[in-house]
Amino acid sequence: MNRGQMRKRVVITGLGVVSAVGNSILEFWDSLIEGKDGTKEITAFDPSLYRTKIAAEISDFHPEDHFSKKEIRRFSRCDQFGIVAFREAWRSARLDGDPVDKEKVGIVLGAGSGGILSVEKYFRDFYQGVKRPSPSLLISYSLATTTDLIAIESGLKGPRTTTATVCSSSSASIGVAYEMIQMGLADVMVTGGSDSLCEVSYSGFSSLKLIDPESCKPFDKRRQGLVIGEGAGLLILEELGHALKRNAPIRSEFLGYGICADAYHLTAPEPNGEGVERVIRIALDHAGITPEEVDAINAHGTGTPFNDIAETRGIKKVFGERARGIPISGIKSMVGHCLGSAGGIEAVATVLTLESGIIPPTIHYEVPDPLCDLNYTPNQSIKRDVQVALSNSFAFGGNNVCLVFKKFSSG
Amino acid sequence: MEICNRDFKNAANSELRTPNSAKGHRVVITGLGVVSSIGVGKEEFWKNCLEGNSAIRPIRGFDVGSYRSRLGAQLPEVDFKAFIKPANLRRMDRIGRIVVSAVRLALDDSGIDVKKEDPNRMGMSIGTGLGSSDTVDQFFRSLLKDGPAGAAPLLFQTAVPNAIASHCSIEYGIKGVNLTFSHKETSTEMAMAFAYRLLNEGRADVILAGGGDELSEPLYHVYSMLGALSPERGKGPEGMRPFDQERNGVVLGEGSGILVLETLEHAEKRGAKMYAEMSGVGMAGSADGLLRYNLEGDSIAKAMSVAAQELSTVDYICAAANSTPDLDRAETLAIKKVFGERTKEISVGSLKSMIGEFDGSGGIRACGVALTLFHGVVPPTIGIEHLDPQCDLGVIVGQPEKKKIRSSLLNSCANGGSNISLWFKRYD
Repeated sequence: MNRGQMRKRVVITGLGVVSAVGNSILEFWDSLIEGKDGTKEITAFDPSLYRTKIAAEISDFHPEDHFSKKEIRRFSRCDQFGIVAFREAWRSARLDGDPVDKEKVGIVLGAGSGGILSVEKYFRDFYQGVKRPSPSLLISYSLATTTDLIAIESGLKGPRTTTATVCSSSSASIGVAYEMIQMGLADVMVTGGSDSLCEVSYSGFSSLKLIDPESCKPFDKRRQGLVIGEGAGLLILEELGHALKRNAPIRSEFLGYGICADAYHLTAPEPNGEGVERVIRIALDHAGITPEEVDAINAHGTGTPFNDIAETRGIKKVFGERARGIPISGIKSMVGHCLGSAGGIEAVATVLTLESGIIPPTIHYEVPDPLCDLNYTPNQSIKRDVQVALSNSFAFGGNNVCLVFKKFSSG
Repeated sequence: MEICNRDFKNAANSELRTPNSAKGHRVVITGLGVVSSIGVGKEEFWKNCLEGNSAIRPIRGFDVGSYRSRLGAQLPEVDFKAFIKPANLRRMDRIGRIVVSAVRLALDDSGIDVKKEDPNRMGMSIGTGLGSSDTVDQFFRSLLKDGPAGAAPLLFQTAVPNAIASHCSIEYGIKGVNLTFSHKETSTEMAMAFAYRLLNEGRADVILAGGGDELSEPLYHVYSMLGALSPERGKGPEGMRPFDQERNGVVLGEGSGILVLETLEHAEKRGAKMYAEMSGVGMAGSADGLLRYNLEGDSIAKAMSVAAQELSTVDYICAAANSTPDLDRAETLAIKKVFGERTKEISVGSLKSMIGEFDGSGGIRACGVALTLFHGVVPPTIGIEHLDPQCDLGVIVGQPEKKKIRSSLLNSCANGGSNISLWFKRYD
């Protein structure tokens, strides 16, 4: 148990989001608690040759509301989502106009495919000999681009890096950001992540037959797989003393995290939930929390046949009989699997759960699966006093992350 | 040019530094794995470092006729079967094989038998700037050619950036912390810094840290289009010439370097050989522009001064200098800012002069630093015909320098502004 260990307390002081169900925290949260579905027919590319035609695509995002024409040309879709969510998070933390020492403000984002949409555009033209493609599209070749753009826009001079574990990337980034504060390298860290739909990712998951043709139905017996999503979820992590001194709004406390590997298979999870169990236990131990104290879980809940069983088994191994009493939210049923931004978006939802005392639902839940027999908050959100909540994210290769958040109390 | 910037002296004494080394577990380097263009395995690599041999030659394997640049530091043919189980080998792409082989070499060098360890207390922390650039390109081209029906699942599963770390964990059954970083030139250094932190905290006993990048045709194309390659950034011939007056861009390389990082207690318990100790990290961001380095070197200086707990013991700096006009000059400014009058006493070198520049070079360079500290020898920097007067550092050229190195900094600077410095001490 690490509670006794002298670590700095770290809180969340800002949140920002762009998603298929809302491009601001208020819109996003309203949609989640209403059980709104962000799934729609794909327009970002031509889906006619694909087995599946749907994604949780963001259709009401207008770059011209946020960027100049020149910026729109230069910023990839992923950059744009990230920057907009960042601006909301930064403002909501009341950091705009705050004379915070930028040398102690850093950024760690999680990336999935990054600006690959721009790179696809370039190489499509290049390989088809269509016209002289613009080299500036290739600036997005690096997964670091969104991170750097946000840092440059705000003049952030603290530590800076990007994690790259796709589906658990922007959860892992929160753990890394936390460590940078603990090491004294920063007082404030921007974290979370951004990702956009692209053909490479979509066709990749499609070729692995991991996409459900109809909807994302986590834990439901009829589930056939993911619905790919896109967007950005950004959080501002801050050392508590620093936050209190500048009267920052404190949204919740971040207690700790776990990261581990299944070491099992490149894409499928270890089926008995062994990796899930381990990462949750590591996270709880790091956070100084017992299984009895956990009130809610924001699941990875992809809606694939394999993940949902493994995750259920892992949760049961940790929580035993109590597991059935812990409401679980599978919000990918609404926002889709946002890949590189999934961890960030789901961490945002977890913080909002703690803050509001409302647990968002898992929608499309109609047919229970005997192998997934926990309480998945089916179809309707519920009001519950939540003191401690977990957020799970598991990536290809069994790259597992679990985050622990607590309702903030100054005691 | 100010003599000794007081700001950095203060940073040296401030609260900021405390978590870096005062508390927590000491972290040592007990194994080195190198798959490089100048040697597979640390012995061959080190021999060529000391002799100042580079593998920079005209690119083999794809046509560079349409570019101004023709050079690269590519790996020799590597028999990956010697390092990796056949069943896993089949699933890996080339960059996966390169890194997993370096992990094998590092584990062998350390004497660690993973089967005798608690796999939950062993971890991976990998950095790669551009990962499976070749596989992604292949995948995309088959999409273009055959539509979604052409998308190969076996390619996709190894194309994700964290596939490398997953291959490693599956190959060796390593189940503890597992993280992948991808942030341009600082990718592997950040991976090593994070590993250091976790070991310092006692969250693992052993972490294999480092990473790599490959030189692929699409990657070469991108670098060329972005004007990063020599001779695009100046006049004069193409070449890798850190600190030289005529330097005009990078020559790309490829490869992987892996450190076995271990808590001192765990290493002592098994009687491990210690190459060096890892004792500090410093990081700072600069906002000069999306593709620009930290032009005035102030962030680089900040990173160094935070990393080095005892500035007066730094006897060697493994430089980030990469034959670009901006970075080599900026790093010089930074070193002078931090070390003032001591600057000329410090031996400086850029291993990139031999292995080329690539995002994942830090793992190999860290192995080089460990060997310098262990053997008390500083390899030369090659390619310098006329040292730039603006880069008037103690750059070692010609013969390697025999010198007991008390501590060393490894610098890394990304275009776009991520800067990191790692501090290593001689282990006595």
